[in-house]
Amino acid sequence: MRFVADFIGALREAGLPVSPAESLDALKAIKLLGLESRETSKTVLALTLVKRQSDQVIYEELFDLYFTSVEKAKATDEAKEVDEFGTEPAGNALEPQNEQTDASTNESDTHSLDTSEADKSDGAQANASSALGQALSKEQDMSLAIAQAAVAEKLSSIVLFTQKNHFAYKIMQRLGDEALSIEIRAEANSLELKKMQRELTKSRARLLDQVKDYVEQQYMIFARHKGLKYRVDYLQQVKLSQLDRLDYKLMQSLVQRAARKLASQHSRRRLTRKRGQLDVRKTIAANAAFDGALFHTRWKATRIERPKIVAICDVSGSVSRVARFLLLFLYSLQDVMPKVRSFVFASDMIEVTELFELQGIELALEEIMKRWGGSSTDYGKALVGFQSQALASIDKKTTVIMLGDARNNQGDGRIDIWEKVFRKSKRVLWLNPEHRNSWDTGDSIMSEYLPWCGSVEPCRNLKDIERIFSRLLKYS
Amino acid sequence: MIIKHQEKIASPEIIQSQYEALGYICSNSVATAIYLACHLQKPILIEGPPGVGKTELAKITAAYLNAPLIRMQCYEGLDESKALYEWKYGKQLLYTQVLKEQLGDVLRGARGLDESIARLHDFGDIFYSQDFLEPRPLLQALQSQDGAVLLVDEIDKADQEFEAFLLELLSDYQVSIPEIGTIKAVSTPIVMLTSNNTRELGDALKRRCLHLYIPFPDAALENRILATQVEGLDSQLREQIVVLIGKLRDMPLKKSPAVSETIDWARALLLLNVEELDPLWVKKTLNLLLKFQDDIELVEPEITALLKSLR
Repeated sequence: MRFVADFIGALREAGLPVSPAESLDALKAIKLLGLESRETSKTVLALTLVKRQSDQVIYEELFDLYFTSVEKAKATDEAKEVDEFGTEPAGNALEPQNEQTDASTNESDTHSLDTSEADKSDGAQANASSALGQALSKEQDMSLAIAQAAVAEKLSSIVLFTQKNHFAYKIMQRLGDEALSIEIRAEANSLELKKMQRELTKSRARLLDQVKDYVEQQYMIFARHKGLKYRVDYLQQVKLSQLDRLDYKLMQSLVQRAARKLASQHSRRRLTRKRGQLDVRKTIAANAAFDGALFHTRWKATRIERPKIVAICDVSGSVSRVARFLLLFLYSLQDVMPKVRSFVFASDMIEVTELFELQGIELALEEIMKRWGGSSTDYGKALVGFQSQALASIDKKTTVIMLGDARNNQGDGRIDIWEKVFRKSKRVLWLNPEHRNSWDTGDSIMSEYLPWCGSVEPCRNLKDIERIFSRLLKYS
Repeated sequence: MIIKHQEKIASPEIIQSQYEALGYICSNSVATAIYLACHLQKPILIEGPPGVGKTELAKITAAYLNAPLIRMQCYEGLDESKALYEWKYGKQLLYTQVLKEQLGDVLRGARGLDESIARLHDFGDIFYSQDFLEPRPLLQALQSQDGAVLLVDEIDKADQEFEAFLLELLSDYQVSIPEIGTIKAVSTPIVMLTSNNTRELGDALKRRCLHLYIPFPDAALENRILATQVEGLDSQLREQIVVLIGKLRDMPLKKSPAVSETIDWARALLLLNVEELDPLWVKKTLNLLLKFQDDIELVEPEITALLKSLR
C-alpha cells in the first residue's frame, strides 16, 4: 500500500489531479486484485486514477519508472530473506503488500543488532567500528536503508537537478557516513587496520554510487514534471512583451489550455424566453394541481445568438508579441466564439480571418508577424482602412476588441472613425499592453480614444488575457 | 446489484474468457474494468473513437449478468423530465376531479373554516406521490428489483447541467425528487457511461467513475474479433483485411475505419465471394469502410500500393 500512496504522490507532482476519493478507489481495487502482476496493476491504477486521455502518457512513463524501482527493491528483499532464513519465503507470493512492511521491520531489527554488535566487538579485532562500516564490511544490501534515509530527508521534494548532490550528501550523512569517514581517516597503526581502511574506502565509494543512482532515479520520478510546473507558473505572470523566443512553444500550449478551460466553462449558452410560444406540455404539467385551469403559463425557450467578435491587433514593434498570444487565445476559443473576424495593422489594415482558416493558427501567426510585424504605426491610416473594409458589417451584436498601445508617431488618430465604431457596435474593448502609468506619455494618444471605448484595460500577461476573456464571455 | 452467480465475476480472466464465448473479444483492461465495476460498485466511463464497441460492451454485460439493460441515449436539451421522471398529468387531473366529488363527504358537518382546513389536511394527499410518478430510464434503473445495467449513451452530447444532475446518481445511487424526497436504489445498478469526447466532461463526473479508454484494437485482437464475428472467412483473407485496416488507420483520414466498419466490410467481402483482396473489389467496396468522400478520394489512388505491400 505504501508504494501506491507514494506513486499517487508522484502523479500529483506531475500535474495529474488525483483526488483523495480516487486514491481510496485505487487502494480498494489493488486490495481486490493485488500487485503481483505488473500488467494488472497498471490497468487497475489507470482505471482508477487517470481520467484524462492526455495524462495517459505521463502516467505510463511514471508507472514504468516507479514500479521498476519497486520491483528491484522487492527482488533484493526476497533474495535477502532467502539468504537469512535459508527456507522458502513463506506466503510471499500471497501477500506482497505486507512483505514490504515486514522487510522494513526486519531491516530496522538488523540495524539495532548491528549497533549492539558493534559495541560488543569494539577493539577485539580489526573490525570496522562504525555501524555503517560494519554493514558495509558484511556486504549487507543497503538499498532499503537508502530508501528509508531518503524518506527521512524528504527526497521527494527535490525540484532542481542542482539539488541532486546535496541530497546524496544528506542521505550519506543519515546513513552514518560521518563516523565511517572518521574511521577511514583515522591513523592506522597496524597492517590489518590499514587493509580494513582500504576496503572500507572502496565500499564507501560503491555505496556513494548506489546513493547517487537512487537520487537520480527519484529525481526522474518526482522532479522533472515539477520543474515544468514552476516554469508554467512563471510564464503565466511574465510580461508577454518580454517573453523569450524559446518559451513560445510552451506558452502556446498554455494559452490553448487556458482557452479550453474558458470554453468549457462558457459552452453553456444561456436561455432566453421567446415571447408568444406556449409550451403546452410544461403548462399543463405546471397547472395540473389547479384542476387544469391554466394559472401559470410556461413559455418555450430559445437560444441566444452567440456574439460576433471583431479583433483588431496592432502588430508593430513591442505590441506584436502580445498580439500573437491574443490572437492565439481568440482562435482557441472557437467553440464558444465561432464568428471571429480579425484584422492586423501597422500602417495598413489587413483582414487575416481567411489566412487563419487556410493555414492553421500557428503557421498563420508566423506569417503575419513576418509580413506585417515590426513596421511603424499609423492608427489614422489603419482606421481609414478599417472603415472601408469592415465598418458596414459592425452591428449591435458585435464586440470590437482593439489591442494596441495607441502610439501614433504624432499622426492624426482619426478619432472620428473610432467614435463611429463605438456607436455602431455592442461594445468596444481596448486592450493596452502598457501599464496605465505610461499611457499618454510620449506619442501615446490613449486618452483621445478613451471616450469611445466601453472599457480600457492593460493587458500584459497571460493572466490578464484570461481574466478579460472570462468577463467578456460572462457578460456578452 | 445482486449478482446471482458470483463465480461469474470471480476474476478478470473469467470475465474475459466468458465474454469471448458470448462473442465479445475484449482486452485485459476491459475485463478488469468490468470486474472492478462489479466489485467496487462504481460506474464506468468508457471513452474511445466511435465504433470500437463501447455500447456493445454494456449490452454484453447485461446479457452476461442476466440483468435488464436500461439504455438512455443523451442528446442536447435532455432534461430530467425525460431522463428521470415525469408526473402522470392526465391521472393527476382525474384525481382532482375525484377529490372534488369527495369533498362534500369529507367536509360534511365541519364547523367553521378552521375545522374544514384541518380536515382537509388530515385527508391523505397523494397528488404528488409515487402513484402518479412515471419513471424514466434513470428511475427505472434505480427501482428495478434485482438491479440492472444502466447505459447512459454518449453523455458528451448532453448539456453540462445534465451532467451535474447525474452526479448524485453516480456517487450515491439515489435521486432527489423535490415533491417526494430522496429515492434510493433498491439494488445498485451497474452504470456505464459512454463518451465520444466531442466535449471535455467535467472533473466531478470523471472523479466518480472508473475511466476506461478503448482504443482501436491491435492487429491480433482485431483478427480474433473478425474470426468470431464473421464466420467462414478465410484466415488468409482475414489477415489481409486486418493489416490493410491497420494501414488505413495510420493515414490522415477524417474518420478512421473502426471495428464495426471492419466487420461490415468483411461480411460484404464474404457475401461477394471475394477470395483475395484485389484493387477492383477494394475500390468497389471502399464506401463501406470510409464514410467521407474526401477520405475515399484520398485512399483510392493508394489502393494498389497498399495491396502490394500486403503481400
